[in-house]
Parts: sequence; C-alpha cells; structure tokens
Amino acid sequence: MYAVVMSDTTPQPAHGTAPIVDPAELLSRIAEQKDRQALAELFRLLAPRLKSMMLKLGADSALAEDLVQETLLAVWRKAHLYSPERGAPVTWIFTIARNLRIDQLRRLSNKPYEDLDGIDATDDTPTGLQVVEQQQMVSRVKSALETLPDDQRQVVKLSFLNDMTHSDISAALGIPLGTVKSRLRLAYGRLRPVLEDLQ
Amino acid sequence: MSVVHHPDITTLMAFSAGTLDEPYALVISTHLAMCAACREQIKRIDLIGGALLDAEEEVPVEDDAVDRLFARLDTPKEAGDTINVIPKVRDVPAPLVRYLPDGLDAAPWKARGGGVWTCDLPVSANAQSRLMLLKVGAGRAVPEHGHGGHELTLILKGAYKDRFGRFGPGDIADHDQDVDHQPIAEMGEDCICLVAVDAKLNFRSRIMKLLQPFIGM
Repeated sequence: MYAVVMSDTTPQPAHGTAPIVDPAELLSRIAEQKDRQALAELFRLLAPRLKSMMLKLGADSALAEDLVQETLLAVWRKAHLYSPERGAPVTWIFTIARNLRIDQLRRLSNKPYEDLDGIDATDDTPTGLQVVEQQQMVSRVKSALETLPDDQRQVVKLSFLNDMTHSDISAALGIPLGTVKSRLRLAYGRLRPVLEDLQ
Repeated sequence: MSVVHHPDITTLMAFSAGTLDEPYALVISTHLAMCAACREQIKRIDLIGGALLDAEEEVPVEDDAVDRLFARLDTPKEAGDTINVIPKVRDVPAPLVRYLPDGLDAAPWKARGGGVWTCDLPVSANAQSRLMLLKVGAGRAVPEHGHGGHELTLILKGAYKDRFGRFGPGDIADHDQDVDHQPIAEMGEDCICLVAVDAKLNFRSRIMKLLQPFIGM
C-alpha cells in the first residue's frame, strides 16, 4: 500500500513499517533526474504485485520475473510521459504492463494503444484531478470490486488480470459468450457510480 | 464531430484489458481518436485494471531483481519511449495512419460489384481476424448480410442508414453474430468504413447463405 496523502517533504519511514512512498513523486524523480533510487523504490512497491499478475498469464516464475523487469524498464523510459491526467500511477503502470503483454505474449502490435498517447496528451478535456484524488479513486474502485457478486468479479479479473478474451472466458467457465458479456455489463453497472466520480 | 453510436461497454472493457485481437483494437483506437466521450470513458475503465493491480497479492521477486534492472537501464531508447509523432494524412485518424500511410484515395480498392469496394489492411501475423476498408457507393446498398462473428464497423467518411439508424463519421456499429442488417449509403458521398471481422464477411443473399455450406464459400 502506498500513502494517499502527498507530502512536500521527504517521506520518513514509520516505526516498524515500510517507508511511506508516493509513487507519483517517484515517477517525477525518474522523469526529471533519472533517479535510480526512485526506480528501486517503485520496484519494491510494485514488482511483487506485477509478478503476481504476470503469473496469472500462465507464465512460469522466470518469465514472470522477465515481464516485471520489462515493465519497470518501460516505466523508467516513459516516466516523462506520465501526468496525473492519465490517472493514478498504478493505473498508468497497469496500461504499460498491458501493452507489454500484447507485444510480448500475444505478439500483436500495441501501436493502436501507443498512437493514442499523442491525442491524450493534447486532450482538451482534462480531468482536472490531482494525483492524490486519482489514488483515492483507485482505493474506492478497489472496495467496489470487492462488493461485486463473485460471478461478476470472476469475469472482470479473468479479463483484466488473466488476459483472457471473452471467448476464452466462455470456454473456460463453460458458459455462453452472451453470459460473459452480461456479467461484465452488470459489473460495470455496479462500478459505474464510483468510476464516474472521475468527472 | 458529433458521434451518436458508440462501442458496447463490453468491447471497451476488452480494449482496456488488452484482450481484443489487433483489428478490433485498431478500430476501437481509431474511434477513440474521433470520440472525446469514449476517451473519457476509457480512462474510467482503465481504473479497473489499476485497482486490480493495486489489490494484487505480493509475490516475492528474486533477490537480484533490482540489480538486474539497473544493469539494463543504459540500453538505447526504443520506439514508444516518446509520444509517437504521427504524420498527418487527410481523412485518416492518427492510429490508422500506420495501417494506411498513403490515405484513403491511394488504398488498393478491389471492386466487389454493386457499387461496393473492399481493401484488406495488413495486420500482425498473429492476428486471428481481418481488418479492412469497405466503400459503398453513394446511394448504394450493401446486400443484406449476417455476421460470422463479432463485427466492428467505424464510419470514416460519408454515412449510411440501416435498421439501427444513421451512421456518420466517428460512429461505430458494434454487432454480434446474430445481427442481420442492410446498410444503404446516403446520397451525395461514398461511405467509407473501417471494419474488423473475425470471420470472412460474406455479402450474400438469403439463398447464397443457404448454399454456402455446399459451395464452400
């Protein structure tokens, strides 16, 4: 867990717990100063969770480690492209991991995603949200996901974390494709009030 | 641009999750380039992935993982490290430029008869589905057809009408396999669409549909 409160002083470790680090600040230290220590902290913060996600793709431990390395390497190189308009750092890093999955596991072009970046960068409808609010949003969405009925949460996780297509999910669960989609639709309907708070 | 018809929410969720095959991802990306409302929508949906990653359990990484990462930091920059500068091509939204660098007019159209032209666009070898342009002459009808699977149609130029309404530039028709429809292009301008199909789209009469199993179309 990272702190949701931004501080303008250097975060100090609390007694007996992990240091409080703000991932947005780490990203800006990487972007502006190529600060390796900031990268190491971001790695310690997110690599174990990224590894868990990569293991869900059927990757063995070694491949999962490689994919985590690739993700953090991409974060290092692209940190200057991050802005709060793109969401919380963890959301932005999810999209980086996703684009990597498309390229390295599906062996498909991820340019349809990357070529949108320029449009987002010049978007005339910024959310106006600060990082701290974006991180609060992530916490709220996390809580909302926990309240979904099991069958809805299952299809959402299989799609976003296990990288399964709707057809894959249909085959794996032995349910019609239409049922996969209706569960996703219901899940979105339940998450909607939280997600649309973004506006 | 006033977009009226948007992708199904489940299609946008699959785009955000990264599970769409390349032709579908490209059609959605091109729609997003034309539709500010859906760009906002995608930012909201991306939060689901962010929250799920945030909620993941922690699996220990190898002890030397950070050192190995540090050893790779000085490797040369790669494409995608900066915002891609995409050349402006008339009538071609940014994400499509890579697939259609010389513009719509220069596309190698193939006449299909009845005022209909198609042009296949190259995608990655691993793609399981087709990406193509479809041009329907002004005032012409596409023969009534069913769909072999999920079909996404994005209007780039012109407009057509079918039983679902009027589809103009930026609009997207997101159809599942059980949909039959007969689009008719509006008078005055050819209608050009970007289409992703996961099975060969057959322009067929009802009779051809019946014959199809026998003639192996």
